[in-house]
Amino acid sequence: MGGRRILTLNVNGDDYEVVCAPNTTLLEALREKAFLTGTKRGCDLGACGACTVIVDGQAILACLSLAADMEERTIRTIEGISEGGDLSPLQQAFVDHGALQCGFCSPGFIMSATELLAENPHPERAEIQRRLAGNLCRCTGYVKIVEAVEAVAQGTDGGSR
Amino acid sequence: MRLPRFEYYQPGSLAEAVTMLSEVPGARPVAGGTDLLVNMKHRVEQPAALVSLSRVPELAGVRSEDGATVIGGGVTLKQVQNDEGLKAKFPALTQAASVVGSYRHQTMGTLAGNLLQNTRCRFFNQSMEWRSVRALCYKAGGDYCHVMKKEGVCFCTYHGDTAAALLVLDAEVRVEGPDGSRQFPLAQLYSGEGKAPLTLGTAEVMTAVVIPEASATDGASATDGASATDRAAGGGSPAGGSVYLKHALRGAIDFPIVGAAVWRNGDATRVAFTGVDRSPLRATVLEEALAGRALTPAVIEEAAPLAPKGVTITRSTVQPGSFKRDLMSALFTRAAGSLL
Repeated sequence: MGGRRILTLNVNGDDYEVVCAPNTTLLEALREKAFLTGTKRGCDLGACGACTVIVDGQAILACLSLAADMEERTIRTIEGISEGGDLSPLQQAFVDHGALQCGFCSPGFIMSATELLAENPHPERAEIQRRLAGNLCRCTGYVKIVEAVEAVAQGTDGGSR
Repeated sequence: MRLPRFEYYQPGSLAEAVTMLSEVPGARPVAGGTDLLVNMKHRVEQPAALVSLSRVPELAGVRSEDGATVIGGGVTLKQVQNDEGLKAKFPALTQAASVVGSYRHQTMGTLAGNLLQNTRCRFFNQSMEWRSVRALCYKAGGDYCHVMKKEGVCFCTYHGDTAAALLVLDAEVRVEGPDGSRQFPLAQLYSGEGKAPLTLGTAEVMTAVVIPEASATDGASATDGASATDRAAGGGSPAGGSVYLKHALRGAIDFPIVGAAVWRNGDATRVAFTGVDRSPLRATVLEEALAGRALTPAVIEEAAPLAPKGVTITRSTVQPGSFKRDLMSALFTRAAGSLL
């Protein structure tokens, strides 16, 4: 119970066998064991949302999740968002609307917004703001991010979902 | 920031979880982890072992039981706020659940975890490096309280949102331990001490929150609260209802500086606060002044200054006590006003 263990994590449809200690977070397992570095380490304390990933359909903070809890669950990271090599409608909308500058927060925002649109394909602006509130961005001022998600929600951008 | 080392146990049943908690030295239960794991990263809590409650089926689900609504301790705050039945009956609770931390915390965090969260202080909830310039504070294992500037005391403050709502809803909590299960009023869960704020035994697990049907709002429709720094909304019918209002530094993601819950049914009014003392508490002085009186704007205005009476507000947060006292009166006025 205290030692390292080989975990099988299903990430973006692929099984990864990773050696983890009990105190290895999902974020550490993804970045340092599976080498999926698209998920970002920001505050590492659950306050910034940069590490957001989708587990069994729910957007969660990878920095506050233990890798040991993630076996037999379906993990989706930013690397699994693009569709056949093309950007997802949401990713394309981020590009089209200038919703990213340095890009560090973008994977987290995309994952949060992907969860939102899967649960509610046509959210109001207030709902988009509420659901993205746990993701911090120091560049854009958020307006363009909300506009990008809104565009996809209204079907005015990025093609069909 | 790495987590400290610990042993990890993943029981598949409640009985197994209780056994592990009683037999493994230094074991602590963990569910969503959004409070405990942050404190562990800060090295202010370093349990030798964690017992995960995430695979314990007995903690799931919302159900009716003998004139009460029973919410499993493992039900997430996201599930609480999206439950149509809870929204209609207990709007204060669903409003409180919808303003805890960020949406991600609400997705991960459980109702029991929110109630059982540790108390907080600006000298305690900091990184090891930040804290290293001072002597270890009393709660973190030292002798000295930097807030009160003396030894052997701790005034860490309780900042959970849902506790205030559940206090005005007269909720009880159900706990399972090595000696069986027990149920008691929520207020008794809190010891009133900053350093050890809970009365639970080390091997006890909170299995459910029980809300009496008598606290339900009749036919009231709850609206979702989410705007700027004061997040809440009305949830009352003419006959009564309940509401939770919170003021935080950041509207998007933060603990309450002060949170206020008000429940009303006819001439009966209950008021509770969080973020102001070592435990969440009912505003007894204020409630006595309101007892048997119909709520009117004049009554609310007259009683509002009594909101902070009997509360020990210290500088465990950066805001001065006078500001918090004013906030208590202001949030009560606004919350009670929304139930008129």
